[in-house]
Amino acid sequence: MALLQISEPGAVANQPAERRLALGIDLGTTNSLVAHVSDGAVKVLTDENGAACLPSVVHFGDEGVVVGSAAEALAVSAPHDTIASAKRYLGRSREEIASSSYIKLAESGVAFETSQGPVTPVEVSAALLGALRDRAQLSLSTPIAGVVITVPAYFDDAQRLATRQAAELSGLNVLRLLNEPTAAAVAYGLDSGDEGVVAVYDLGGGTFDVSILRLERGVFEVLATGGDSALGGDDFDRRLVEIIRDSAGLGTLSPAEERALLHCARTVKEALTTEAEIEVGLDDVVGSGGTVTVTRQLFNSACADLVNRSLDACRQCVADAGVSEIDQVILVGGSTRMPIVAEVVAALFGKEPLSSIDPDRVVAMGAARQADLLIGNRDAEDLLLLDVIPLSLGVETYGGLVERIVPRNTTIPVARAQEFTTAKDGQTGLIVHVVQGERERVADCRSLATFELAGIPPMVAGAARLEVTFQVDADGLLEVKAQEATTQATASVVVKPAFGLAEDDIADMLRAGYEHASEDMHARQLAEAKVEAEQLVAGIQAAVAGDGDLLNDHERESLMIAVNGLVDASQGNDIESLRKSIEVTGRASELLAARRMDRSIKSALGGISVTTLEGEAES
Amino acid sequence: MSVVAAGFSGAPKDYFELFQIEPRFDVDVDDLGQRFRTLQRRFHPDKYSGGSAAEQRLAAQVSADINAGYQALKDPISRARHLLERQACDLRALERRPVSGDFLMQQMQLRDEAESLDPNDDGGREVLTAKAQALMTSELLSFQEAIEKEDYELAGSAWVHLLYLHKLNKEVAGSSDLV
Repeated sequence: MALLQISEPGAVANQPAERRLALGIDLGTTNSLVAHVSDGAVKVLTDENGAACLPSVVHFGDEGVVVGSAAEALAVSAPHDTIASAKRYLGRSREEIASSSYIKLAESGVAFETSQGPVTPVEVSAALLGALRDRAQLSLSTPIAGVVITVPAYFDDAQRLATRQAAELSGLNVLRLLNEPTAAAVAYGLDSGDEGVVAVYDLGGGTFDVSILRLERGVFEVLATGGDSALGGDDFDRRLVEIIRDSAGLGTLSPAEERALLHCARTVKEALTTEAEIEVGLDDVVGSGGTVTVTRQLFNSACADLVNRSLDACRQCVADAGVSEIDQVILVGGSTRMPIVAEVVAALFGKEPLSSIDPDRVVAMGAARQADLLIGNRDAEDLLLLDVIPLSLGVETYGGLVERIVPRNTTIPVARAQEFTTAKDGQTGLIVHVVQGERERVADCRSLATFELAGIPPMVAGAARLEVTFQVDADGLLEVKAQEATTQATASVVVKPAFGLAEDDIADMLRAGYEHASEDMHARQLAEAKVEAEQLVAGIQAAVAGDGDLLNDHERESLMIAVNGLVDASQGNDIESLRKSIEVTGRASELLAARRMDRSIKSALGGISVTTLEGEAES
Repeated sequence: MSVVAAGFSGAPKDYFELFQIEPRFDVDVDDLGQRFRTLQRRFHPDKYSGGSAAEQRLAAQVSADINAGYQALKDPISRARHLLERQACDLRALERRPVSGDFLMQQMQLRDEAESLDPNDDGGREVLTAKAQALMTSELLSFQEAIEKEDYELAGSAWVHLLYLHKLNKEVAGSSDLV
């Protein structure tokens, strides 16, 4: 048997020495941005015209797909082919999407009808991510190793999953989904090195988030989060449309005119940031209506209920966080430029908010920091983000009621086991309905998935003990596992998403995309698998070198057999056998990995006093 | 087909051991927080983003345990629960045990007061909050004394009282403005 080569401890590097390129992406409702870290500083990437913001608009016309401001320009002439604010529809049901007047739904499913056929919100988002990826690739010649994509903190599981699927479709390797307020806190916290309790008020184009965090020595601990994933600048725009429509006495408008009026309203809103009143000429916009005057005062009072909704969420969040004082307030999102918003936030928290970093850019900047760290660049800032799940997870029980399994604001990752039993004699299957939300009744919560536990051994009612584990990972995504405890039979779990795309749909779309570039794809996948194999071998060698004593001779030998097999497989070009070998070797290394983890837990706090703890935390 | 939720399962872990602190009721919460952050700095999945799939899975498990342990120990009510669980007390049986008539009467009276509180009566609410909190403080003290004397029977009774008081406190807070 070949001997395993053991490198000198410390000589094996898990990560390559050169800097790897990782991007921070703010996939916004109205604007999207991309940033990266270079020489320790965050740079927001711009397009060839020097613009940082990519309007989150995609046009699916006869002549092809157009993204960004070029698509925005086509919105009035081709309203149905031009999808804006697609983020509002991510992970939503057909019924929820149908309420928007600018959108024409496809005949079935969650898709918009365009000249290119039905297009899902996930595909619209993928097109935006692809445009940002191209922008980065154009200006930086290094290949993109991974991305951190930000999501509203208040996004539920379905919305997060849809975001991940969009990234998958655009061929990006997602290192983490990061909550937008947390990203903003990172951008500010690292600049000022501040400690204390921070409130982040994030009013974007379509979503509102508030998070309360405690900053301490590079640890960003989210204490509570709240918000409204359907409240944003878009709603203020619509109020302004109503004001203008009423003042000018406009009748029914065509979809194209509606779009034109919306554009006009947005311009008026921006002008009202600095002006107390604005004259709006409508003849050029909708062909009639003359000129109307809109005052900031009128606008503010028409939006008072929207502002109050955000303040209610802030009060709830402060109560959930259990803090008595807020040290700093951060404003995020272009909508916080509205003077009324900054005023009421300052009044609520009793602190003048910080806005020294451009509220449009701050989220992408924080995401870039986290991406740089996660990709393993050695000179990355050392920080740790501890985030929470925004909405409670539960299951349906008798009478359509919700049994809560993971309460909101629980720090992630989290794993909770819950036991279920059968209600009838000989029952071999069980359907579990997973929901997310704070209400008592299933009908008032968001349905995430139903899954079926099959293959339960027939027993008398109540005798089966089905242990279902709900795990929420650091992305805030849920995974469910189930086991029958008395017989150890593993029940199969088939998760059927309540809406959105199934895994198979994504696979189909990817396959369709790859058909054009299958040769390239194969070469790329093989190269990626070889790098993965190399890293795995190096990692195991380092582990054996350092903690080989944790395995007995037999265990060490079987691990070596797997590793040598992997080394052989990575010489060849058979991608399938290489992947299989990676999987086998990975599994073979689990025992050692688990024992090493155990050893380091024991030593992590072993016999040290609090003063040394503090010292360690600072280093 | 309906689902019957039969409660949480799994062998209870000893979180005091995880954080390497003495299993006492009067935990130094600031120290606990330091230990929590030190452990997470080392075991959070973000620290293993370059590691193998096995390492990442393990890190997620360990990190989830650290989170669960911190949750269990930082709040006095859940800490009391964990101290009883460590002694293999049957909490479900405890929760079903009847409480004394005097205690029940007092609780019902206070709940009534909380329910009939005028939302604008700040003074009245303050008085009631103080009353509820004083009861909570004294019950927490009884629990601590019982645990120190290793009288788990007594600690169990105090725990049940704590559950009632916790609900009462929530009710009093619920009738007030949040900030």
